[in-house]
Amino acid sequence: MEDRVGMFPKNENPMIQIQNLSVCFGGTEAVKNVDLEIARGEILGVVGESGSGKSVTALTVMGLLSESGRITSGRVIFDKDVLIESGERLNRALYRRYQGQRMSMVFQEPMTSLNPTRRVGAQVEEMLMLHTELPRQQWREKVLESFVSVGLRDVEQLYNCYPHQLSGGMRQRVMIAMAVILHPDLIVADEPTTALDVTVQNQIIALLREINQKEHNAMLFITHDLNLARRLCHRIAVMKDGRVVETQSAKDIFENPREEYTRSLIQAVPTRVRCKARPGESATGTGSAVSGEIRRPVLEVHDLNVYYQEGTNSLFGRRKRRRVVSGADFVLYPGEVMGLVGESGCGKSSLSKAILGMNRNVEGEIRHFSTRPQMIFQDPYSSLNPSRTVGWLLQEPLRAAGRLDKSRQMSEADMRAAACDMLRRVGLDESCMNRKPSQLSGGQRQRISIGQALITRPGFVIADEPVSALDVTLQAQIMELMQRLQEELGVAYLFISHDINVVYRMSDRIMVMKDGEIVEQGDTEELFAHPREAYTKLLLQEDLE
Amino acid sequence: MQYFGKKTVTLIMTLFLVSVAAFLAFQIIPGDVVGSILGTEATPEREAKLREELGFNDPPVVRYMNWITGVLRGDLGKSWRYSKSMNEMMPVAELIGDKLPVTLWLAVLSVLLIVIVSVPLGVFWAKSRGRAADAVFSVLTQTAMAVPSFFLGILVTYLFGMVLRWFTPGGYVSYQDNFVGFLGYLIFPALSVAVPKIAMTARFLRNSLLTEMSSDYVRTARSKGATEQRVMYGHVLRNALMPVVTFLGMIIAEIVAGSIVVEQVFGLPGVGRLLISSISTRDLPVVEILVLYITAVVIVVYFLVDIVYRMIDPRISHK
Repeated sequence: MEDRVGMFPKNENPMIQIQNLSVCFGGTEAVKNVDLEIARGEILGVVGESGSGKSVTALTVMGLLSESGRITSGRVIFDKDVLIESGERLNRALYRRYQGQRMSMVFQEPMTSLNPTRRVGAQVEEMLMLHTELPRQQWREKVLESFVSVGLRDVEQLYNCYPHQLSGGMRQRVMIAMAVILHPDLIVADEPTTALDVTVQNQIIALLREINQKEHNAMLFITHDLNLARRLCHRIAVMKDGRVVETQSAKDIFENPREEYTRSLIQAVPTRVRCKARPGESATGTGSAVSGEIRRPVLEVHDLNVYYQEGTNSLFGRRKRRRVVSGADFVLYPGEVMGLVGESGCGKSSLSKAILGMNRNVEGEIRHFSTRPQMIFQDPYSSLNPSRTVGWLLQEPLRAAGRLDKSRQMSEADMRAAACDMLRRVGLDESCMNRKPSQLSGGQRQRISIGQALITRPGFVIADEPVSALDVTLQAQIMELMQRLQEELGVAYLFISHDINVVYRMSDRIMVMKDGEIVEQGDTEELFAHPREAYTKLLLQEDLE
Repeated sequence: MQYFGKKTVTLIMTLFLVSVAAFLAFQIIPGDVVGSILGTEATPEREAKLREELGFNDPPVVRYMNWITGVLRGDLGKSWRYSKSMNEMMPVAELIGDKLPVTLWLAVLSVLLIVIVSVPLGVFWAKSRGRAADAVFSVLTQTAMAVPSFFLGILVTYLFGMVLRWFTPGGYVSYQDNFVGFLGYLIFPALSVAVPKIAMTARFLRNSLLTEMSSDYVRTARSKGATEQRVMYGHVLRNALMPVVTFLGMIIAEIVAGSIVVEQVFGLPGVGRLLISSISTRDLPVVEILVLYITAVVIVVYFLVDIVYRMIDPRISHK
C-alpha cells in the first residue's frame, strides 16, 4: 500500500470544516465539541463504536439530521460558506443547493437505501433532473456513463432493473454512481461496506480510492472497522461517546496511538498475529482424536444435500426444488470448535438449519450423538422476545425440554436456580433476571442468547455469526466468553462467520464453504499456513491486503 | 401475461367452489319448503306435484348441475314468494334485475368518494404531523369512524334534505327515467357509506406514509437535494399506497356486499332490502343467488387487488 502520510499539510484550503460541533437529541448529547476538517483530495476516516456519534456527525454535515436533533454549539463550513450554525434552524433550501450537487452520501445498507419500487436508472437520473439543465434525452446516456465509471457491466440492462434484482455489491455501486455523477466536492460514506461480503468489500474500497484519486474530492469515511480505515484513509479520527479522542495520520495512529482508547480498539481487532492458545490442545493433530484416545463424535454429517422448495402460493406453480448445500461431509467431536466460513448465500445457514432439523428437505445422513443441539443467532436485538423478562427467556429452553421429555422436567425453583447460575456464568448480574431485553445493551443481549443456548447443557451448539452485529471491543469479549464457557461445560461449537479472522481466533478446525460446497476443511493453523484451494487463498489474501 | 392467465384460472376455480358451497349450504337448511309454500292449501298430492316441479326428487348432483348451468345461462331460478301472474312464479333474474344496478352504483359512487377524498386527506395529514391540524384530523377521523352509517344517513338526510333542500328525502329517481338525477340522488347515501371509510382509509394511509417516511431511501432522496414535495410524490406515496390497496380491497368488498342499512334509511330499492325480505320469508332461491353474488364480488375484488398490487410493487412480479 502506498504511503499516504504527509500528503496533506494541515489547513491547506479545507473543503469542509466542522467547528466545535455539538448535537443534542432530547436531553442527551450525541456529539460533543467535535472539530474536524477535510482538505480537497483527502480521505478522513472517522472510526468509533456504535453510539460514538460518528453517524450523527456525518448526517449533520449532510443536513440530514432528523427533526429531533438540535445543534447546540459550533458550525459546519463548506468551502467558506457556513451551512449550519448553532441556534439556527436547518435551512433546507440552502442545503438543497449543496446536497447531491456539491456533497453526496453513500449509505450503509444499499438494499434499503434505494427506493424498492423505482428502477435504478431512474433513481440515478433524479440527480440530473434535480440539479442540471441537461435535456432529458441525454439523461440516460449520462447515467450509463456513470454506471460504467463505477465498474458496472451490462449497463443497458441494468438501467431498467429494480434494486431487488441486483446483488449487494451492485446496489452499492449504483449508490456510488449516484453519488459521483455530478462530481461533488465532498463524498460522505457511512459504513459503505459493512453490509457486504469480504470480497465485495475490497472491491468497493478500491473503487472509492480510485474515485478519490481521479476526482480529487474530499471524502468523509465513517466506519467501525479500524483496519478498513487504515486501508483507505489518509487521516483517521477516533470517536468515543460523542467526542473525537484522537486524530492522526493513518500510519501514526497504528504505530503511536496516543490515547488508551485507541490502543484498546487496535488490540480488539481480531488479527492473525495473535495465536489462539487453549489449554490441553497441541498445535498438531486435528485437535480432536489426539493422544490416541478415540472419542465418540457429537455430530456426524455424511454426504448431505440440502434443498429448498421454492415457494409459490398459486395452485399451479410448479414447485422448484433448489439445491443449496451439496455433499457436506464432516464430523464434530466433543469440546472442539469447528469454524465455517463463507460469503453470504454460500449455504452456511442452510446447512445449520438442516443439522437442527429445521429444514427436513435433505438427502444424506445427519447423526446426532447428544441431546438437543441449540443455536446462537446473529442479531441479539431481534432474536429475543421483547415482551418477556430475561429470567423467563433463560428458563424457556428448560421448560421446552421438560415438555418433550418428562424425565427432564424440573421444578420452578430448580429452573430459576439454573437461570441464575447461567446468568452468572455469562457474566451478568442477578438483577438482570427481571429486566426486558430492551433494557439491555447489545453485548448483554448476546450474553443472554448464549446463556439460552447453553442452559440445557447441549452436546453442541451452532453459533450463526454470533459476533457479527457487535462492535469490535464487544466482539472480543463475547468470543472470550464463548471460549471460557466451552472449557467449563465441554460443549462443541459449530461456529459460523463470514469473517475469517474471527473464525481463526475461535476454531480448532475450519471448513470453507462456497456455492453450497465445502471446498476445503482442515486444522486451523494448517489451513491458514497452506491453503490448498484457490478460493481459500482468495479469502485469506483479500483480507491481508 | 402468464401470471394473469394463472390467476384467472384460479379465480374461476374459486368461484366454482363457492357456488358448490352456497348450493350445499341451502340443502342443509332444515324445514319443509313445499309445505311452507303451499301453506293452507297443502294436500299430499299437491305437495308431491310441487316437489316434482321444483326438482326436489332429483339427486343433489343433478340439482346442482341444473342450477349452475341455469345461472351461467342467465336463468337464476324462480322465486318461491313473488309471482308474476296467477299461475307463474317470478324469475329471480327479473326480481334482481332492476335492483342490482342501484346497489352497484351506490357502491361505485362510495368507492370513488373514498379514493378521491382519502388519498389527498391522508397525504395532507401526514405532512401536518406535529402541528395543530394533526390533532384536529385525529379527533375528526375518530369521530367519523365511530358514527354508525344509519345515523350518518339520518344526519345527511336532515342536513342536505331538510335544511339545505338539495334533494328530496324519499324522492328516489329511477335510473331508467333519469340517470343523472339518479346519480344526483345517490350521492347522499353514498356519502353516508363513504364517510367512515374515508376516515379509516385516510388514517391508514397517513400511518403508512409516516412509516415510509422514516425509511432509508427517503434519507437517500433528501441527500440528493430533493424537495419535500419530490420526496413525497416521487418516492414515498407509491410505496405507502401498497398496504392501502389491500385495505381498500377489503373496504370495497364490504361496501358491495353490505350497504343494506343505508338502502333502508334512504328508501333505495337495492338488493339489500330484497335480501332482508327474502331471508325473512325463506325465499331460498333468491337468497341463494344473492349469496352467490356477494361472494363472487368479494372474490373478484380481491382478484383485482392482486393485479393492482402487482402493478405497484415490482418485487412481486420478479420473484
